[in-house]
Amino acid sequence: MKRFLVVLLTVFFALTAIFAAAEKEVAPVEQVELGSQPVTITFWHSASDDAGLLVDEYIKEFNATNEYQITVDAIYQGQYSDATTLMKTIISAENYRELPDIMQLDATGKLDYYNSGKAFTIDDAVKYFNDDIVGEYLGGALGNWQFGGVQLGLPFATSTSITYFNKDILKAAGWDKGPDTFDDIIKLSKDMKAKGISVATYGAVPNTPTLANWLGQLGSYVVNNSNGADATATKLACIDNGALKTFLTKWKQMYDAGALKNESLSTNQFVAGEVAVFTASSSNVNSLLSKVGGKFEIGASSFLRVNSSASHGATVSGSCLVLFDSEDALKKAATWEFIKFMTGAKIQADFAAGTGYTPGHKGAVEDENYQNFIAATPQFSVAPEQLAKTPASMRSVTVGPTVDFYYAIQNEVTDMLNNGATVDATVASMQESLQGLLDNYLRTNP
Amino acid sequence: MKRKTRTLIQDSVASTVAIFLGVILVFPLIYCVCGAFKTPHEFLTPTLLPGSFSYLGNFEEALEKGNLLRYTANSFIIALVGTTVRLIFSILAAYAFAYYDFRFKNLCFFLILGTMMIPADVLLATNYLTVSKLRLLNSYLGVMIVSFVSAAQMFMLRQRFKSVPKDMREAAQIDGYGDISYMINVLLPISKPVLTTLFVQSFITLWNAYLWPLIVTASSPHMRTIMVGITKLNSWEDENYQLVLAGVCISLIPSLVLFILMRRNMKKGGIDGALVG
Repeated sequence: MKRFLVVLLTVFFALTAIFAAAEKEVAPVEQVELGSQPVTITFWHSASDDAGLLVDEYIKEFNATNEYQITVDAIYQGQYSDATTLMKTIISAENYRELPDIMQLDATGKLDYYNSGKAFTIDDAVKYFNDDIVGEYLGGALGNWQFGGVQLGLPFATSTSITYFNKDILKAAGWDKGPDTFDDIIKLSKDMKAKGISVATYGAVPNTPTLANWLGQLGSYVVNNSNGADATATKLACIDNGALKTFLTKWKQMYDAGALKNESLSTNQFVAGEVAVFTASSSNVNSLLSKVGGKFEIGASSFLRVNSSASHGATVSGSCLVLFDSEDALKKAATWEFIKFMTGAKIQADFAAGTGYTPGHKGAVEDENYQNFIAATPQFSVAPEQLAKTPASMRSVTVGPTVDFYYAIQNEVTDMLNNGATVDATVASMQESLQGLLDNYLRTNP
Repeated sequence: MKRKTRTLIQDSVASTVAIFLGVILVFPLIYCVCGAFKTPHEFLTPTLLPGSFSYLGNFEEALEKGNLLRYTANSFIIALVGTTVRLIFSILAAYAFAYYDFRFKNLCFFLILGTMMIPADVLLATNYLTVSKLRLLNSYLGVMIVSFVSAAQMFMLRQRFKSVPKDMREAAQIDGYGDISYMINVLLPISKPVLTTLFVQSFITLWNAYLWPLIVTASSPHMRTIMVGITKLNSWEDENYQLVLAGVCISLIPSLVLFILMRRNMKKGGIDGALVG
């Protein structure tokens, strides 16, 4: 019996060794030159409506004109949050072959991508292809897609928050330029009332990105580690320096003066003339202009400031393109060509003109067609000008509990205004609830 | 006050409350239909009614941009097959729990009921893993398979079957009916109202499914459902609610037709006695 077992074990190990050796032989690392054979790559995007049509056009153009026999299979994967949920589900099921080669991602999916174990970051790609293209992009646009000092993706749809105003209403109130600070909103409200204009002056509810803007103007982050851009955010960074209190005090003053409608307004409400001043993404420019038509004149200016000593600017938002490690040299090379095409000067200039997004590529900003377009439609120039003024330290917020954090901020501020809570009590309450969310996330994601 | 007058007042109050509640329930539907016929310019006005109900631009654009015709067909296949199979499994399981005696029957029953308490979102990753291991990703079967079994439907049918006197089954057995023929010829016809209600409810649930079909068909966009198509009509850059409402109107048609066709059976509810026939 013993002899039989020894023989069995010997055969087992011998076979294992043979198969292991065979496996090494059948999976050689083969470097196939791009263009030597057709290759298909998968691109997941969340571009819908007119932006979706533009993306479809670009894919068609790339498939028809690229010289490397690359075919891009573009798949709409729902809104950003849906696409991120899909990515997370695939990763947790370790079904990596279902991952795309390239994906459009917004800030909510940044951490999940970084922690996916399958990220082929831009830094990785630059080294892998020995092709340093990062310098061709605007620093502000790139910064939003970094984490822990790593460049995760390249900017595709870059936007920032700006202020829109109904020039006709402002003129009627005696204003020939847009408001710049919260105090201006209060003054404008008084002037509007004096002229018998009953339209709401300004409407918004602070959320994660807008709070990051306003606190950033005051030189503060919402959370530590540069708003979670350098490393995972572990605590609030706006309590001890008094920035949150300063912001809430000014916000409450606007509300108490009857100048603020603490509601999340839609662009349609602004178009319908229900509010005079409105802060929203710069990517809304195109649709606002086409919807308003000649009904009234739209003005655009830099994002509202908390007070006159605050810096100008707002964080960058929008989406980027990230790469996944397909472990296939040919696909990786094809994907690299495709990302350069989609984020390159020509497409970025065209996409900006077609949507209102700001180009993330330096070449696109200098593109003649884009320059002419901006000259003809000055509202489009506010975002790039603001991006140039925005301090590099102003970063968007990256936290684990993205959605809960967003709504917690909205609820806390709304409760303060509706229930008449004091600013100090609200700061304490926000510290407790927001810190609780961070702690909870860190506990479950050590 | 005379009894007749009092009854009249009570009826009037009850009717008014019922009409008021009915209007509240139906209002979103009315708003949806009206909004779908508005031009983009009209949509910005606070009026409820569109200028006319002849503007079909939103429907045309929704069908084209959202690829809604193809997606409607997909949704129909998924909802119809999923609902039918689910109902068959539920009937068989409910019959076993209602009429058979076997070991650990109660334990099995409560274990199945226990699954109702697990939120669907929690099951997303595990269901995906299972479907992936079965190599059913990017297939209609993959989208439908998780809906083939429903503890809630099984429970409701079991309760219905239990309300039918056992004498009836014994009488049928004396007449030479086996379990299957008794079920098909006697039990199911008298349970038609419950079956109809469950069918409609299940069809609408599967018709409205969004995240699961999106995830399972990640690499096969041609298998997407109508709800995914509707999300394509709106974007971050431009709010096109009139298009979304047109898409919703289109998506409501099958559910409404089904409801109209089956409402009589549904209304009967539990009114029919088990001893009919």
